[in-house]
Amino acid sequence: MNEKKIIELKGVAKSFDGEIILDNIDLDVHEKEFMTLLGPSGCGKTTTLRIIAGFVTPDSGEVMFDGELINDLPPYKRSVNTVFQKYALFPHLNVYENIAFALRLKKVSEEEIYERVEEMLTMVNLRGFEKRDVNLLSGGQQQRVAIARALINKPRVLLLDEPLGALDLKLRKDMQNELKNIQRKTGITFIYVTHDQEEALSMSDTVVVMANGKIQQIGTPTDIYNEPQNAFVADFIGESNIIDGVMLDDYKVKFSGQEFECLDKGFSKNEPVDVVVRPEDVDVVSPEKGMLCGVVDSVTFKGVHYEIIVTINNFKWMIQSTDYVAPTQSIGLYIEPDAIHIMKKSEYSNMFGDYSSFSDELDRLSDATEEEE
Amino acid sequence: MKKKIAQNIYTILVFVFLYMPIAVLILYSFNASNSTSTFDGFSLKWYRELFSDSASLNALKNTLILAILSAVISTIIGTMAAYGINKMQNKYVKSATMSVTKIPMMNPEIVTGISMMLLFVFVGVLIGGKASLGFGTVLIAHITFNLPYVILSVMPKFKQMDKSLPEAALDLGCTPFQSFFKVELPQIMPGIISGLIMAFTLSLDDFVISYFTIGSGFETLPIRIYSMTKKRVTPDMYALSTLIFVSILILLVVSNLISDKNRDKMSKKAKKITKIVVGSVFGAIALITLIVLIASAGTKTVTLNVYNWGEYISDGSEDTYDTNAEFEKYYEEWYYEKYGEHINVQVNYTTFASNEDLYAKLKSGATGYDVIIPSDYMIERLKADGLLQPLNLNNIPNYENISDQFKNPFYDSDPDEKYTVMYTYGIIGIVYNKDKIDPSDLEKIENGEAGWELLWDEKYAGQILQFNNARDAFGTAMYALGIDVNNATPEEWKMAFEKLKAQKPLVQSYVMDEIYNKMESGEATLAAYYAGDCLSMIANNESLGFFYPKNENGEYVTNIFADAMCIPAGASNKELAEAYINFMLDEEHGAARANAEYIYYASPNKTVFEDLEYIDYLGEDYELIYDPDFNEPYGNGEQTYIEYMFATYAYRDMTEENRARLNGLWEELKVDSTSFGSGIYIVCAVIVVLIVAFGVYKYIQKRQRRRLYWNNPAPAKFENTMSIPKVVAPNDNNTPNSTN
Amino acid sequence: MTKKGLIQKAAASPHIVWAVLFIIAPLLFVVYYAFTDSEGKFTFSNIGELAQASYLEVFLRSICFAFLATVICLVIAYPIAYFMTKTSPRTQKILIMLVMLPQWLNFLIRTYSWMALLEDTGIINSLLDKIGIDPIHMINTSGAVILGMVYNYLPYMIIPLHSVMSKIDTRLLEAASDLGCSPFKVITSVVLPLSVSGIISGVTMVFVPSISTFYISQKLGGGNFDLIGDTIERQFQTAYNYNLGAAMSLVLMIIIMISMAIMNKYSGEDDGGVVV
Repeated sequence: MNEKKIIELKGVAKSFDGEIILDNIDLDVHEKEFMTLLGPSGCGKTTTLRIIAGFVTPDSGEVMFDGELINDLPPYKRSVNTVFQKYALFPHLNVYENIAFALRLKKVSEEEIYERVEEMLTMVNLRGFEKRDVNLLSGGQQQRVAIARALINKPRVLLLDEPLGALDLKLRKDMQNELKNIQRKTGITFIYVTHDQEEALSMSDTVVVMANGKIQQIGTPTDIYNEPQNAFVADFIGESNIIDGVMLDDYKVKFSGQEFECLDKGFSKNEPVDVVVRPEDVDVVSPEKGMLCGVVDSVTFKGVHYEIIVTINNFKWMIQSTDYVAPTQSIGLYIEPDAIHIMKKSEYSNMFGDYSSFSDELDRLSDATEEEE
Repeated sequence: MKKKIAQNIYTILVFVFLYMPIAVLILYSFNASNSTSTFDGFSLKWYRELFSDSASLNALKNTLILAILSAVISTIIGTMAAYGINKMQNKYVKSATMSVTKIPMMNPEIVTGISMMLLFVFVGVLIGGKASLGFGTVLIAHITFNLPYVILSVMPKFKQMDKSLPEAALDLGCTPFQSFFKVELPQIMPGIISGLIMAFTLSLDDFVISYFTIGSGFETLPIRIYSMTKKRVTPDMYALSTLIFVSILILLVVSNLISDKNRDKMSKKAKKITKIVVGSVFGAIALITLIVLIASAGTKTVTLNVYNWGEYISDGSEDTYDTNAEFEKYYEEWYYEKYGEHINVQVNYTTFASNEDLYAKLKSGATGYDVIIPSDYMIERLKADGLLQPLNLNNIPNYENISDQFKNPFYDSDPDEKYTVMYTYGIIGIVYNKDKIDPSDLEKIENGEAGWELLWDEKYAGQILQFNNARDAFGTAMYALGIDVNNATPEEWKMAFEKLKAQKPLVQSYVMDEIYNKMESGEATLAAYYAGDCLSMIANNESLGFFYPKNENGEYVTNIFADAMCIPAGASNKELAEAYINFMLDEEHGAARANAEYIYYASPNKTVFEDLEYIDYLGEDYELIYDPDFNEPYGNGEQTYIEYMFATYAYRDMTEENRARLNGLWEELKVDSTSFGSGIYIVCAVIVVLIVAFGVYKYIQKRQRRRLYWNNPAPAKFENTMSIPKVVAPNDNNTPNSTN
Repeated sequence: MTKKGLIQKAAASPHIVWAVLFIIAPLLFVVYYAFTDSEGKFTFSNIGELAQASYLEVFLRSICFAFLATVICLVIAYPIAYFMTKTSPRTQKILIMLVMLPQWLNFLIRTYSWMALLEDTGIINSLLDKIGIDPIHMINTSGAVILGMVYNYLPYMIIPLHSVMSKIDTRLLEAASDLGCSPFKVITSVVLPLSVSGIISGVTMVFVPSISTFYISQKLGGGNFDLIGDTIERQFQTAYNYNLGAAMSLVLMIIIMISMAIMNKYSGEDDGGVVV
């Protein structure tokens, strides 16, 4: 990324009522970048966004905008605009007036306001909706108004706080595309907060994975998916089997009582590591051909593939395969060296792992209520 | 930070404003004297007073009973109504019901009060004049104005409730009733409770509506306070308010501590204690109610409804004689001796502020009174209206104690048929402040040459108080002009009116009870008032003086009045009423003297005014209250001076025509305020103009803004899925635009 | 009709019966008395009598006093209600209780206390005297009457304003700030239009009792400022002119209905909305 830095967070920390929300965050945002802050609820992503917007003042650390310190600059003086989680449209104003709100404050002439509002309405495909009551719009339409309202001010940076959270799946996909297009066309820096990893991967230039008030990994979507830095990231982004292993030597790792070849190096000898194997990277073969053997616990039809749970050495593997296998059948697993990703042990090491349960489900349930603070 | 401080200062200022009068009343509840305007040292005496003031405590009890009953009933009816209205299918029926429901909220209290009074009076007349105003009518009135508040606080809870909740309950096997009580009721409970509290509060503090709908034998605290307006609001009312304030404050603090942070953390023990405390409070309330009910249901109880002026009986305050309690005791004993049977006598003692109030009550159908104590002219009128009944003097042997010259007053002159027994009499005089009055006027007063003209002296502009009641105010003007108050011609009425109108710019205020504070604190210099009350003021402020005004001939020209006990027609227990009247005249039990000492008006009772101890008690004031001049023979010697005064200067009942004239002229005087500048109107007009201008500005602005986009075509159909149309970067300002 | 339906229908019926008997019927009596003379004959003379200049002035004065009291209440209450929403929920609860607490004490007694404060020789003037400021004449002025109204009805302005404001989504305030509103602009362009319903109910709850009060003007105005309430009360309690009193009540009701209608019309019409 060659663009210049527009926002820098340096050692930013924040706590509410003695509870640490942000723990020494360092983050650089570049111009024209589409950055996503990704993490489960309570990880501090929304707080980070609110610090950038100016609604929250950090306890310590520096917030820089264009190289200038803006810690104490109130929100209305920042050239940053926000698309709020539940849109926060002004219920007493119609569509036109909502969008024109920011320009009215700047005492722009009516004619110019008209031109720019129409331009925005065209962009979000809401022409003709000018005099509609915002309370009577559908979720997707409200979303568009919120985006238009935030963009009309021509902010340098647009902050989006889970803007698609309330929309249904299809509409969500469309809006993802639209947002991405808008970002590309306008060249405005987007900082996007979500807990939805798929959304993050498909839209962003840069993904920032956060947990427990800390940044876990910053990288492109491919990096994040293929080279997770720790068990948390591996688990949070996509499905993964995370197994305890030992690095016998460079390119050689041992887990499940077997030695495997891999592409990783640079660990000390016999260092305990976390091994990540993505379910789609495992091939199902006959038991005798398999590098590992086990008995099928259950099989679930998922449409594009079957989801197979296999117990091997007391560890429940998840495998995605297009071939059907029957439960209680013995099968073998074959894993290519490039399907194995080795990570250093971290504080998250034993928190995730096998598929006796889908802990992600719990996350999604709690997402419905989201961080209210 | 600075902003925060400014906010806090502002908040504090508003609260200071809200609590300033409360602080004042708390301060004066500890006053050593009975003034509510000058502080004379710390004392707890008013708290002691309060607990011996059975009438006030009774009024407090009544107020609470009324508030609880009306709150509970209106909550029940209101909750049912909210449920029913919420379920109504027909939109028009629903909105019509809601509009009617809201009427008592939107209507001024005074209109609600009088409209209900009109209804009750009408119904009373319809069913034959039997007591139509009473506890029942106030209760109905309170329930009526509580209802909308209950409904409006319960309604939203029904609306917010998840519609599927009752369905879930039904699905799980509840009957509709069970579903209501087990599922819906707990959901709407917060609404019900806030409605209940609101209703209770409103009912507790209501004065206006009670004032118009209350009847005999029942008095609430606000009514009692209001009827103190002829005498004075005693500081024990301040003490009561202070106690109420402090107990509510404690209750709030405690409930806040419990309900807030600590609810979860609170130990089981604390919860238990809270439950016990709350339980015992409610238990105590229930117990008291029960005791009251049992007490009134147990032994045979007879009640006697006495209706008297405020502060017009020795009521046990300041360690005085408690007349009503003594009577109850006396009668119960007497009855037991006579019939060998226990009886429970209860005197329901209620008070009024003016003869007109009394008449309005009697006339509007509150005929439940047994003993009333109106003044002379009002007695004439009541008698003429057939509202009184003759007394059986055999039941009133103490009638003999009345001095002969008061036995046949003009309003009750037939020696064979007595309707009244005089209670007190008095003369209107002028009270003045020696320190503030001009020395030359002081000299005149001391030489007995001063008359009414002092009240028209421009030297005292803004320092004169005038009666805030038509009869007495016109009286002063007529005495000053030398007009016969009882036979004034229309021209003379007009003259008196002009006289009062001329006085208006000089008058500081038109007062009744306020005169005490205003004279005692030196706020005002001159005022005409009833002699006994003037002397009470002098007792509190040494620099006050008092005299009876004379005309140029050196004759007293002033009003003399008598208040007498009578029994209204239709009194339910005449014998008991006569026993009460007899007791009031009694020497042996001391009621007559105690009342004379308490009220400080002249007593017509020989056993009182000839009592040496009493004479000693009055000291110097004796000569003022019982001016020896008045007992001199007058004219040809057939009557005493006082009889002459009664014959000449007492107010007589007026013809309907004159009454209308008096009220009309008084109306004109009060309504027409020359002293009132136009400043307020100008301020009002300016604000209205500003608001209208702002509205017009906004309207034009809105039109201006809409002009551009209002006629844009509406979209044919909204497409959710779409490709992004050609987007012009927002940095580019020169967007060509086709529309408009 | 199912059993349940019947219960639902029956639930509101006690209230409806009650309302007809004790709300509608009494008002019909007011109308009846307003249009009859003392013999019960139909007449317009009661209403006609009110057209006298002196009565017109009473009405005008009452409207003016009540209007000013309402405006002052609004001006005082608005900021305090707003500041209250900025505090913690616990503090808000306590503050609301403190606002309502004085209402639990007898209104006559509280008005009496004001007399002690405002008199020429009263507490405020004695304090001023002590610090060497000339006494200010306050009691028996129109200002004192308006002050009494403001004092007594201020809580009824604060409470509805606060309850409406506390329901405004804080995100809307943040959104406004984010779009460039200074804190003051946030109030004028977002909080104010969104609290209109609170303003309306507050104004109603102050204006209606103010215009019809009869105790405050007697005690704090020294009987010099006759208001509609005083005049009506006199007709019923001393002059026994029920007909004139009923006519006045009717006119008072109509004045209030008109004021409410005007207010609702000009504040409810804002469908498109205007900012700034």
